[in-house]
Amino acid sequence: MNAPSRRRARVITVLAGIAAGALVLSGCSSAAEKPESSSAKVSPATITFAASTLGDPGRGPGLQKLIDEYNDSQDVVTVKPASVPYPTFGQTILTQMGGGEGPDLIRFDMPEFEAAAGSQLLEPLDDTIDAKKLNLIPGPDKYLKKDGTRYGVVFENSNYGMFYNADLIPEPPKTFDEFEQTAKKVRSGDVYGLAFRQTQAEEAGVWQDIFNYVLGFGGNWSDGKKLTIDSPEVIKGLEQYQKLYNDDVIPKGADAATFRKMFVDGKVGMELNNGGYVSHLSSSNPDLNFSVARIPFPVKKQGSLIAPIVINANSKHKDAAADFITWLLKPAQQVKLQEVLGASSVATPTKRSAASLEKYPFLPELDKLTDSGVPQIVLGYGEQTPDLRHIIVTEVLSSIKGEKTMKAAMQDAQKQAEELVGK
Amino acid sequence: MSQTTQGSRRTARPRHPSSVGPPSQKPLNARRRRRVVGSPWTPYIFLAPAVLYIVIFQLVPLVQEIWLSFTKTTLLNPTASVWVGMANYFSIFSNDNFRQTLITTAIYVIVCVVGAIGIGLLIALLLNGRFPGRAVARSLVTVPWAAPGIAVALIAVWMLNPQYGVLTKLLRAIGIDPGPSGVLDNQHMALSAILVTTIWQLVPFVAVVLLSALQSVPQDLLEAASVDGAGRWTVFQVVTWQVLKPTVGLLAILMTIWSLRRFELIWLMTRGGPLGSTRTLVIDLYSQAFESKQLGTAAAIGMVGIVIALIVIVGGRFVARAAGRES
Repeated sequence: MNAPSRRRARVITVLAGIAAGALVLSGCSSAAEKPESSSAKVSPATITFAASTLGDPGRGPGLQKLIDEYNDSQDVVTVKPASVPYPTFGQTILTQMGGGEGPDLIRFDMPEFEAAAGSQLLEPLDDTIDAKKLNLIPGPDKYLKKDGTRYGVVFENSNYGMFYNADLIPEPPKTFDEFEQTAKKVRSGDVYGLAFRQTQAEEAGVWQDIFNYVLGFGGNWSDGKKLTIDSPEVIKGLEQYQKLYNDDVIPKGADAATFRKMFVDGKVGMELNNGGYVSHLSSSNPDLNFSVARIPFPVKKQGSLIAPIVINANSKHKDAAADFITWLLKPAQQVKLQEVLGASSVATPTKRSAASLEKYPFLPELDKLTDSGVPQIVLGYGEQTPDLRHIIVTEVLSSIKGEKTMKAAMQDAQKQAEELVGK
Repeated sequence: MSQTTQGSRRTARPRHPSSVGPPSQKPLNARRRRRVVGSPWTPYIFLAPAVLYIVIFQLVPLVQEIWLSFTKTTLLNPTASVWVGMANYFSIFSNDNFRQTLITTAIYVIVCVVGAIGIGLLIALLLNGRFPGRAVARSLVTVPWAAPGIAVALIAVWMLNPQYGVLTKLLRAIGIDPGPSGVLDNQHMALSAILVTTIWQLVPFVAVVLLSALQSVPQDLLEAASVDGAGRWTVFQVVTWQVLKPTVGLLAILMTIWSLRRFELIWLMTRGGPLGSTRTLVIDLYSQAFESKQLGTAAAIGMVGIVIALIVIVGGRFVARAAGRES
């Protein structure tokens, strides 16, 4: 090699060194500002995340902020929120998924989760989620596996408690009799002691409400293997619901939107609702003096609104969707998610902030209910829950409208349900 | 030689100032046009767009629906259909609730058609008379027809609210108590409320159509009948009704088909409840398809609806022809 060539080679080596150094430095500075996605294999993508709670005035903005935080944390995946109203959420998303489309990530309620998992519309998450390593709360988590395969992870778990207007009811009732008496005592003029859903137009809501009465009196719709709709415990629980309906302590005919507004205005004394209601009440009326206690029914079991986050099997960006879930399950994000969701709990055990506990001193009481919460599905018949719900709610309403006794109504419901499930 | 002569004649012929362009293009276009217009394919070319539309948007979905009705297909997995023959039809006809749905549909359709045409005819006869402010009244009467169905349903729900609804208060004031849950949650009153709302919305259309038919009643015939001593009712029966009959027949068929198909008003007011008392065929179809997710059963219900609509159309034509022969 002659002298000019050697010089040229040296220059090229130096330039290459500078270039490599510059690349490393620029990489470092970029990483410092926007760390790469948690999974190195994630391909760049824009994905959609559908949740009815995104449209909730109490929790929607907080969830949006959390999504923005994820988008800002890396350059590979962009999550776009898709808000679909709660009443039509399941139907809209399931129709899209059945047609081979739909959002990449979805926050489902249990009946829709069961239907989608049973139809192989969800991506198995066994490779993404390690329950032990992540320390997932086992109570609600056990419902998210179907035939041993995991299809979702808890996004939100909201326990049902008794919300009461502390200005109307200074001391919460401790037994069902006290509960009934308190409701009667509060009833006066346009103030009602209690409120629950009782019209066919709110079938899904009635289902959530009667669930607490059935569980609270020792019943359930099935034992996991066979339907027990006409069992004495179920009938007893529903008769209590009917008794309160006939007691003239509820605003009959009022839908949930109406009686919740009444609760906010101090016109309703008590309501059985899930933890998500805390954010709604606080955002609707920051001065409302309310509290939450355990539902005072004989059996310490209550409904639980388990809402898993899942990946659509039709998604073209499953790795990107999984990356968001992995990010969300990190301890720091779980704490933030729980703060956004208010009184609900999340997938992993988290410590509530001092500010939250000061604002809502009843939160530990609600958190304690996680292990005794039962998801609002017919155990063993998850996929058929919407059909069974329709049969049961129709029969319950026919009874409270005086068409038949609750026992006869539940016997009719059992017969129809058995025909439906083929037993 | 002759060619040269012809050519010179062509060049000698004066050209119209507007026909600027290559000299041979106009006759060529005309020839092409003649060829197209005179071709035996011409009618088919003109019909093609309409036929394509009907095939793509009506015939293919209809065939698909017929096929679906013989299968067990779920909304969540529509590609995995299982042939079940007549099972969906046996299943719906053996179900008491479906029989109730058919009865509710029949009541809804008959009351809607008779009510809307009856009241519409009365209003048309009133508007056909001479009175001050007739033009304003004719305009006002069309307002309910112009209002969107969804808005009408929401206003009706609001007016019938059990707590603060103005109609609920009115009903209670005149001694009709719909119960604490209100009219729309009372299984004995909900269908009536939906019928009243539907008729209120349909009447203007019927009135306007019948009013235009009334204006074509020959004045001299009316005068001749009056001169002959016929009373108002006889004049209406012998002259006016004979002119209105074909229009009423057409309206009855249209109203029947529209009433069989009406969805949004019923769904928004009661969703088919309470206790299935307002569940018509389309509500049942929707509920089966999107709530129970059974597309096969929903398709079978849809086929029942199509058969009923066909019976109405064929029956209506048969009645109209028989009436024509009679007159």
